[in-house]
Amino acid sequence: MRMRQLPVLLAGLTFSLSAFAASADQWTLPVAVKKLDNGLTVIVTEDRSSPTIGVSVVYKVGMRLEPKNRTGFAHLFEHLMFQGTPNAKKGVFDTTITAGGGRNNGSTRPDYTNYIETAPASALEPILWLEADRMKTLDFNPTTLKNQQDVVKEEIRVNVKNQPYGAFFIFDIPQHAFQKWENNHDGYGSFQDLENASLDDVRAFHRDYYGPNNAVIAIAGDVTPAQGFALAQKYFGKIPARPTPKPTDFSEGLNTAEKRLVQSDALAQVPAVAAAWKMPPRGHRDQAAMAVLGDLLGGGDASVFYQGLVKGREIALNVSTTFGLGGPFEYDGPTVFTVFALYKPNSSADAMLKAMDEEIGKIAQNGVDAATLKRVKTRMLADWNNQMESFMNRADTMAKMQVLWGDANVVNKIPGWIDAVTSEDIQRAVRTYMVPTNRTVIDRKPAAMLAAPAAAAAPAAGAANTNTAAAPAGATK
Amino acid sequence: MKKLMPLALSLAITLAFAPAAFAAPATQQDLPMPAYGQDKPIPVPKIAKKTLSNGLTVWVVPRQGVPRVDYVLAVRGAGFAADSPQTPAFASMLAGLFTEGTGKRDSRAIAEAAQGLGGEVGAGASADGIFVSGNALASQAAPMMQLLAEVARTPSFPDKEVALAKANALQGLRAAEAQPGFRAERAISKAVYGEHPYARTTATVEGINAVTPDLLRAEHAKRVRPDRALLVITGRIAEAEAMKLAEAAFGDWKAGGPALPETAAAPASAQPARILLQRDKSVQSAVRLGSPGIAASAQDQIPLRLANTILGVGFSSRLNSNLREQKGYTYGAGSGVRLNRVGGAIVGSADVRNEVTGAALSEFLAEYKRIGTELVPAKEMEMNKRYVAGTYMISNQQQRAVASTLAQNWLVGLPAEFLGEYVPRIQKVTPEQVRDVSRKYFAPEKQSIVVVGDPKAVGEQLKAFGEFTVTDK
Repeated sequence: MRMRQLPVLLAGLTFSLSAFAASADQWTLPVAVKKLDNGLTVIVTEDRSSPTIGVSVVYKVGMRLEPKNRTGFAHLFEHLMFQGTPNAKKGVFDTTITAGGGRNNGSTRPDYTNYIETAPASALEPILWLEADRMKTLDFNPTTLKNQQDVVKEEIRVNVKNQPYGAFFIFDIPQHAFQKWENNHDGYGSFQDLENASLDDVRAFHRDYYGPNNAVIAIAGDVTPAQGFALAQKYFGKIPARPTPKPTDFSEGLNTAEKRLVQSDALAQVPAVAAAWKMPPRGHRDQAAMAVLGDLLGGGDASVFYQGLVKGREIALNVSTTFGLGGPFEYDGPTVFTVFALYKPNSSADAMLKAMDEEIGKIAQNGVDAATLKRVKTRMLADWNNQMESFMNRADTMAKMQVLWGDANVVNKIPGWIDAVTSEDIQRAVRTYMVPTNRTVIDRKPAAMLAAPAAAAAPAAGAANTNTAAAPAGATK
Repeated sequence: MKKLMPLALSLAITLAFAPAAFAAPATQQDLPMPAYGQDKPIPVPKIAKKTLSNGLTVWVVPRQGVPRVDYVLAVRGAGFAADSPQTPAFASMLAGLFTEGTGKRDSRAIAEAAQGLGGEVGAGASADGIFVSGNALASQAAPMMQLLAEVARTPSFPDKEVALAKANALQGLRAAEAQPGFRAERAISKAVYGEHPYARTTATVEGINAVTPDLLRAEHAKRVRPDRALLVITGRIAEAEAMKLAEAAFGDWKAGGPALPETAAAPASAQPARILLQRDKSVQSAVRLGSPGIAASAQDQIPLRLANTILGVGFSSRLNSNLREQKGYTYGAGSGVRLNRVGGAIVGSADVRNEVTGAALSEFLAEYKRIGTELVPAKEMEMNKRYVAGTYMISNQQQRAVASTLAQNWLVGLPAEFLGEYVPRIQKVTPEQVRDVSRKYFAPEKQSIVVVGDPKAVGEQLKAFGEFTVTDK
């Protein structure tokens, strides 16, 4: 039976941006969107400058919605999506894309899970077939489940357990900054929960969250919208929609008391600190202001924190910033703006926080001068273009925006949002979010540094070697 | 949370390869997997070339993509190979300080200028040279070219910035020593290159302490010179305009004194070493296998690159299929051929849990032996050739990759035309050539082995592979 096709959205807006020095620097990308009858949203963005394509399939499920006794399951499941189906046994997915000249990957985030490919245009149809095939069903095989449980544990070892700092500024901060389980559990997962994952869990997760109605596919590059829509219909059109459970309410407000912890690090040799402030919800009027503030504070060598802490006070070795596990426009639930820095052993977390507060205070009081704001925006806009250069990233960003914002064309709107941010907007954002009461801080010290003063203060104590030593007021959730 | 860590970009043409051969429909309703479509011609960038009167080579590749220009100035012979044994990795600090002050601007003014142009400027070192890179919005092509020339030609190495860079490098070294990968890399380089300067990729406390502003100025004057440099310009810019900007920014650049001598050839063989770098309570072993390789311009480079792709590049490679997808020992296993100007290295790597350290090494050596003895089946040859071609096409879609590949090729002695010739040359490689170069360079008995891990947990497993020297360095 032929399905009826309805174009639901067609967009392509141009903005005139004052921060760009010339119209030659503006870049508006075509966005064609269509929803299939089974609920799958299809985006096509044509670009004939290279005979290659990028594909992204994004499912609206991530770590927040994984089962409560299965931490890390959304990510483990992502791995299982590459482990074969009744039609394409283990290995076929990768070898087909490799032999098509392409490459693929996937990643899991709090609000979504994305699957990305890029290849010469001649591999587009097999790629779409493979994506549709694993949307229908998986192999549900005990051998591959065990294999990927092992692989994921090695991933956690190589990225967390065997590394100094263990990416604590990414994985530990949320455990203390948030109140609700959806937001504060370890999305990489406990080994116990990963080991307990069963094939029934895998079947249920696939059935509930991996239907076409819970997904978006974007195709970028050497393809016309008409071709892209027809191929999507051909390969995905007959997959039936499946009921998706109503998400739990994981919203939460800003914090009202600072949280501060000291952690001991058995591997690190140089201390580090992370400070994280809860962000406004997606779509809030302060979101773009926080994005610009993030770049003003931490975007490269010209930034306020680099100039004030690495240079200036000379107390930090480096400063980097992140918005949770993604960018300032790529979330749809509680997240944080995080500053992470290594500091010199003759300095302290207190000195680092004091310095940050002084710099933030100046912005709260004086705002941002016009020349600085223009510089910051100019590079942010250029960076946004750069992010959209590769066909794979272009498809992925559009698919993510469709999932998170319900509008793929947000990719063309963000430059205008950035450009519209004023000094007053930034001051308001600073006063609302960048306050100590909304802040979670982890001071991560080499075990040897912590052991020395502790031994002096309490010589008898066997320096309790817990991973997390409690710190001032209200440290735990 | 990626499925696998970033894979080395490597680079096939197109004969009919039917993916449908793998798959049969499960039910009558399912469509069979479609065949690949008609392959399009592989694009070959048109490179305009010119040599300025001072010897500076300029290559221009105009493009119509993202509204940006990308510049790379590659300076040959200015990298680690020019560093003295007393100051290893000095070239990194030298390059890093280019943007910390010039005759005209201080560090902050340089950073702010680049930001205001919607771009970045910076420099870094490799074995064979220093790269100074800049990018900016298309409308800012001219001022970015001036800024690039300013930091490359006239860095001033202010006392205060040098002191800060040294202090931070000492702490940075301490931080790096905590990472298993850093220690593994240092040890395998040493095992492969011995006393050759290619081994000098990581700094020492003594070497950092020995750096002075005067040393930096003297080395800059000796190393950074137009007759040893290439400027690549890509992006939304016309050829004539690009040549004009290059002439204006670099035309009056003069070399000071005689050029440094060429780097002596790197060793073609090394005594295989067994080194266990002690890391108590480590929950994984960082495993590295290494042996001397070849220069980028050597005869065997094309078949060796393809052999390495089959063995250790990408999800479908033999090492990754075996150690990750079959055994579950690791998050990712792979191999790499490092092709430098006067020599190279073959390095295999995986980080594996303690209990399977010996088993993982056995699999590495078994795969090395297999690819050197058995002919690679036709289908696998074809898959990998197409993978190489596709990788080239995907890289070619991205402007910065084109600029940096051209610069890197030039630095290691490959001509501009190599970029466009590479894929057709890969197409011609035979299974016999893959076997023969593999036997030569991936020979198990030639491999040094470095393990960073806990001797108590893995020491016993390593005994089967020889006598390991245990050290804390």
